[in-house]
Amino acid sequence: MNEKKAAQVKKLEAEFSELTQQIYTENDIVKKRKLIARRDKVRWKVTAIKNNRRISRETKRELIAYSFIAPNFIGFAVFTLIPIVFAFVLAFTNWDGNNAVTFVGLENFKSLPTDTFFLAALRNTIIYVLGTVPLTMVASLGLAILLNQKVKARGFFRTVAFFPYVASLVAITAVWSMMFHPSKGPVNYLLLTVLKVPQADLPKWFSGTLVLLTLILFSVWKYMGYYMVIYLAGLQGISPELYEAGGLDGANTWQKFRYITWPQLRSTTFFVVVMLTINCFKVYDIAVMLAGGGDGKLSTSATVLVYYIYQNAFNYWKLGYSSSIAMVLFVMVLIITLIQFRYQKKLEA
Amino acid sequence: MKRKLLSLLLAVTVSATMLAGCGAKATQTQDNTAVTEKPTATTAPKAPVEKEEITLKWAIWDKDITPYWVALKEGYETANPNVTIELMDLGSADYMTVLATELSGSASEFDVVTIKDVPGYATLVSKNTLEPLDSYISSAGIDLSQYGGVDNQITVDGSLYELPFRNDFWAIYYNKDIFDAAGVAYPTNDMTFEEYDALARQVADPTYGAQVYGTHYHTWRSAVQLFGVLDGQHSILDGKYDFFKPYYEMVLKQEDDQICRNYADLSAEGLHYSAAFSGGDVAMMNMGSWFISTLIANIKSGEYDASLCGNWGLVKYPHAEGVEVGSTLGTITGLAVTSVSDQKQAAFDFVNWVSGAEGAKVMAETGNFPALMNAEVSGIIAGLEGFPSDAGSKEALSVSNLYLEVPYAENVSAVNDILDTYHKSIMNREITIDEGIAAMNEEVGKVLGK
Repeated sequence: MNEKKAAQVKKLEAEFSELTQQIYTENDIVKKRKLIARRDKVRWKVTAIKNNRRISRETKRELIAYSFIAPNFIGFAVFTLIPIVFAFVLAFTNWDGNNAVTFVGLENFKSLPTDTFFLAALRNTIIYVLGTVPLTMVASLGLAILLNQKVKARGFFRTVAFFPYVASLVAITAVWSMMFHPSKGPVNYLLLTVLKVPQADLPKWFSGTLVLLTLILFSVWKYMGYYMVIYLAGLQGISPELYEAGGLDGANTWQKFRYITWPQLRSTTFFVVVMLTINCFKVYDIAVMLAGGGDGKLSTSATVLVYYIYQNAFNYWKLGYSSSIAMVLFVMVLIITLIQFRYQKKLEA
Repeated sequence: MKRKLLSLLLAVTVSATMLAGCGAKATQTQDNTAVTEKPTATTAPKAPVEKEEITLKWAIWDKDITPYWVALKEGYETANPNVTIELMDLGSADYMTVLATELSGSASEFDVVTIKDVPGYATLVSKNTLEPLDSYISSAGIDLSQYGGVDNQITVDGSLYELPFRNDFWAIYYNKDIFDAAGVAYPTNDMTFEEYDALARQVADPTYGAQVYGTHYHTWRSAVQLFGVLDGQHSILDGKYDFFKPYYEMVLKQEDDQICRNYADLSAEGLHYSAAFSGGDVAMMNMGSWFISTLIANIKSGEYDASLCGNWGLVKYPHAEGVEVGSTLGTITGLAVTSVSDQKQAAFDFVNWVSGAEGAKVMAETGNFPALMNAEVSGIIAGLEGFPSDAGSKEALSVSNLYLEVPYAENVSAVNDILDTYHKSIMNREITIDEGIAAMNEEVGKVLGK
């Protein structure tokens, strides 16, 4: 045993001196660093063998580091990672949650393009995202700039803007349902009396093509307060010296915004847009609460992907099919987020 | 390299545990059935001799506001002192979804489960979570004709997986005070749809501020489109829905003429049918018989203003020309035995008791309609304090043909949702009646064609 060890040590020591030699002769700094790291490893191995340690210092260090991540990672694995991997596998199967799983290959994905309700949900979700993301971004940035000025009762107005985000969804959708009530609501009443819209043409805010507009308006109103706070933080991080310098150079308000505020807020805007896009693709509760009517079911004019995923999974127990829709949603969000990340990198470079 | 290896390892372990999980589950259920089949064969003859202690777990909803669960439990425990029934309340909102989740896999502990609706029943049957009851039914000698043909509408490939214990049928509720004030004769037990429509128009009063609606349709599709299935020749499983058309036309015309509230308003405000009827401005409303006990109880407690709706009556559903009087829609609530239960015979005995004559009596005494209807039972309900005293209302309780709102079919959940969706679109006037029916035909065709 000891002879074997001695031989090993000898071999490693030879490698060590060879590496040392190489380090001296190497001129490229990057390669030199790599060689030094390799030499360190060899040195650790030698000491590990000499001190009879089973686990090398390196592994020990890594284990300690992993143990620090463990509490978070275990939660992530159990509640997020495993279900996601499971859903990915399920997308290629038929399963009702109780009987045996049968693999069907791409069948689930093949039937998607002929499914009227899936197509309606996909179309509505995309329209919703395209409407909500830019509007919310502009509205929250506008509000943040306004409420970053030194105006009276600034705290009050900030609270007012933030309130819809905090308020219970059930309560505020009830209020919206009454505000936009097709025959008794104040909105339509104003249209009727002030704008003289004929009674028969009064918009039905919760059905037909208008329902998506109502959903978008509602979401912008509800979420702009939250993103306003993020923008406020971004605005307060901009050094006042930049504006001072701009002022001295004769920049007007628009130019200050265009050449100072907007570029300085780039990373904030990036964060806001990514979060908004992801959240909007996941829309479900707002649609069901506003457009679900008495039974919480969405017709083709208001159905969204997450609703259809839920319906397939827990009403029809087609867990495979619903997973395949979830995969479509996942891939869409992934692609958009990747594009955003790449764009952000390009801007920073 | 090492990191890549680590993540690869992780992925492999994750998928391995997953697959292992599935495998274990499958074998476990098999084991269970193998084990449970034996005791049912042996305990069946033994049970009456030894009277061993049995505890049955029964899945129900809304224990505190539904009077009959506890009454049934106590009734059965009195008759069978060796049995204890444990009520497991799953809440009513997502009852069938929660139940289906609970019954997935072999971890469930329920012996008897209540089946709230037929789509949910279809789901549980296709998931193999319910025990077929045929052998139990024949050995207990149950005469299924006591359910008046309803059992045929829930038979799955020749087998029955539930026995109905509650059976609600639809009728027309009317407000006598409104008819008196308008000087119009009350509706009768023998009305055609034309007569019903004319009556609604006669009694309605569109005067702003003192508006009276001739009739009211709740937002459920059953309240409008299912007038079409009463002729016994059509069903929602037909795949062709042109027979809905005359009824959509009648109701949308009534909306236009302000004879009834319009659907878009109702769905925006989420008006409950009980609030509509108890508000005192609705002359007639079609609704299920479950509303009888609600009306009686809430008028008694003062929750509904008796001066607005206290003077109500009941008549049979209108009928199309040439269709037998007393044909109406029904909806059943049933009891089933789970396939994982290890005391199936005892569970079935309980199911049999609840859905039989004794359970029916308990149901009627709490003001609810049992699936097993006979003269004694309808006598009990008509004799309840607060039930209208006129002969017509009592007569309205007898049903000639009962068609389930949703009869059994394998894909009935999907069919149900498609019909709901386009009902919504038609009533919201997003599409015309013809477009809506064409879409129903096409989409249901896809589901049934599979």
